[in-house]
Amino acid sequence: MTLRSFLRHETILLILLVIALIILAQQSDKFFTTDNLLNQGRLMAEVGLLALPMTFVIVTGGIDLSVGSIFGLSAILLGVFWHGLGIPLPVAMVLAVLVGGVAGLGNGLIMTRFNVPPLIATLATLALYRGLAEGISQARSVRGYPEWFFVLGQGEVLGLPTQLWFLFGLAIAAAAVLGLTTFGRTTYAIGANEVAARFSGLNVARTKLIIYATSGLIAGLAAVIFVSRVSTTRSDMGTGLELDVITAVVLGGTSIFGGKGTIIGTILGLVLMQVMKSGLALAGVKGDGTIVVIGVVLIAAILLGNLLSRNGDG
Amino acid sequence: MMPVVEVSNISKSFGNLRVLKDISFDVRPGEVHALLGENGAGKSTLIKIISGVLQPDGGEIKVEGDVVRFASPRDARHTGIATVYQELLLFPELTVAENVYLGHAPRTKWRTLDWQAMRAGARALLDSLDSHDLDVDTKVGLLSVANRQRVEIAKALSQDARLVIMDEPTAALADADAKRLLSVVRRLRERGVGIVYVSHRMPEIFALADRVTVLRDGAFIGTKPIGEVTEASLVSMMVGRSIDQLFPKVATAVGETILEMKNVSYRNVVNNISLKLRAGEIVGIAGLIGSGRTETALTIFGITPATGGEILIDGKPVTIDSPATARSHGIAYVPEDRGLQGLIKPQTIRENVSLAILDRLAKLLVVDRRREGALARESIARFGIRARGAEQLVRQLSGGNQQKVVLAKWIATEPRVLIMDEPTRGIDVGAKAEIHALMSKLAGQGLAVLMISSELPEVLGMSDRVLVMRGGAIVAEFDRAEATPDAVGAAMTAAGKHAVAELAS
Repeated sequence: MTLRSFLRHETILLILLVIALIILAQQSDKFFTTDNLLNQGRLMAEVGLLALPMTFVIVTGGIDLSVGSIFGLSAILLGVFWHGLGIPLPVAMVLAVLVGGVAGLGNGLIMTRFNVPPLIATLATLALYRGLAEGISQARSVRGYPEWFFVLGQGEVLGLPTQLWFLFGLAIAAAAVLGLTTFGRTTYAIGANEVAARFSGLNVARTKLIIYATSGLIAGLAAVIFVSRVSTTRSDMGTGLELDVITAVVLGGTSIFGGKGTIIGTILGLVLMQVMKSGLALAGVKGDGTIVVIGVVLIAAILLGNLLSRNGDG
Repeated sequence: MMPVVEVSNISKSFGNLRVLKDISFDVRPGEVHALLGENGAGKSTLIKIISGVLQPDGGEIKVEGDVVRFASPRDARHTGIATVYQELLLFPELTVAENVYLGHAPRTKWRTLDWQAMRAGARALLDSLDSHDLDVDTKVGLLSVANRQRVEIAKALSQDARLVIMDEPTAALADADAKRLLSVVRRLRERGVGIVYVSHRMPEIFALADRVTVLRDGAFIGTKPIGEVTEASLVSMMVGRSIDQLFPKVATAVGETILEMKNVSYRNVVNNISLKLRAGEIVGIAGLIGSGRTETALTIFGITPATGGEILIDGKPVTIDSPATARSHGIAYVPEDRGLQGLIKPQTIRENVSLAILDRLAKLLVVDRRREGALARESIARFGIRARGAEQLVRQLSGGNQQKVVLAKWIATEPRVLIMDEPTRGIDVGAKAEIHALMSKLAGQGLAVLMISSELPEVLGMSDRVLVMRGGAIVAEFDRAEATPDAVGAAMTAAGKHAVAELAS
């Protein structure tokens, strides 16, 4: 459906992105350097990874506010498993990712079994998982990870930051699943009309469970990458991360009401956001100013998108 | 005596669909005037025009002799017309007294709310309706539906209503509550209020009404004093037309039993349903709103899986716990509410038609766009869907064409049992005949069709057999030859089972 209207929104994003790049390149000669661009890529990888399943979540008409907390919980548990319980680091990494998946599955079960709206369910688990993370960590941080572990967050493979390979690989997979498969179709159908999806014999509950569990799983993966990037583990990691993730997805043209959205859009939204952040920082704008600009661009992109799609459908 | 409200030559169209043609109708003070007609006859539209919700395209409305134009329900309320809707419009968090006086509360000389006057006034109004047991300080949300209705009537009286419109007030009530409501209505009449009373329950109409007006297909059929009509004559006024011409049901060879239900129940909404559906047969289910027809369909289709009894397909017991298992057993359901349950309106015809067979159209989970497009084009041709092409959005289609898309979606699953719930609701006459022809053709190809409809002529015209439901149970069964409007209509509304037994024999 409305492939045209998706492309229209993505065209707007692309134009905005080009404009932003031109302005920033003129503002600072440090912006368009390979080093800076690769570094920016590294910084956006975690939000980017989370934005992929979040696109699915929002396309179903849902929301997952708990990803930042799951991120923190997985990060803490990685430290606890390895440092506290003495589990070998590779196993601890896998376990930390799996914990994320279990936490996401918990979200899904709360929604599908007890009919709790996603906003409420994940608002509750946002507090719950964060509380667990803080309780477990007792405000202690874990350091001293071995050198090989930092390849994930600080190293490069074939000249590209390691985590960007994860992001690209998973983005392509997510785009294929959402755009081409029966699972993707079911996701759109649920978002556009959940009742009709159910009445068409689609398995709504299973689809949601898979999506929310994947969201948690990816949060776990992003957490491991993050710990590797910053070389330490703390319990407040990822606080507020969900807002960046949701912003990227919505900026990318995914409708918060569900039924509409693409992975390409999400990636464009993500890149646009990161470019603005870094560009504004280089131009000497303080953190608060950056947030204001991102807010304005988000509203402008949504308004423009609405305007165009309304004209288009008649 | 001058009528409270008199409408003359009222017409109304929605797009190309004419829903009211030259209706004239009046209500006198102290009269209960019953408004009758099948679903879609135009009763609701007429009521909405009198109460200011809709504006007529032509004709005029007089209130006590003066011509009025209502721009909004507010205007109508100010001239003394109050409506008690099926869905009650009260505020659950406010008390009875607050609800009664909402918007026109008595004030003290300091312009603050006069709580005492409000409570005393509400008390007096409720007492005048024989509702001494209702506490004016109770929150409305805690009251039963029957009591809320009385609050709503008191509210109408508090605004000095001269005409009270009641749209199926007893539809949601148990017998005892319905009886009490009738006495409240009589009290209203004694006060000189004119009452427009819409109900499907015949006994109530005979117990209450002074005059009866019948509408059919948006046209005025007649107004008669209650003494001059019988239940049978009313039903035939409502149904009227020569059914056989309208519904070209082709006689087909009836084959083996495909679906059988043995004492199937769902909670207390579906009670011990037993039926057999055979290949090539159209079985119609008649009944009033809330009689359990749709609930039965939803149980067969796995939305509300059976809590008791047994469903057999080809004589083998099966468990249907979801629409997906129903589909795998060859059961298709074209739902009652097209927009909500049947279609994904913002998506294309192609995406809608393939929705129930995505798995089959996919190779290694990837949907085969070529086959999907071919299916959509084939469906458009086969079902005569008028659209620009497979990529047109479903929400841009007319009601009849939307219904054909839902039907196409389910026929794509190659079902053996097709349940159609209100197959032609809200569809214009031409498309209706097309849907009927398709249904007949599908039965001719060996499908077992179960059709639920609130339009009696449709049930009688299309069905090989007619089942009548009431209170979640099947209360009568008629062969095509026996199924007369009078007999089926009486079974739908009859108060006791005796009447049905007499009619069925």
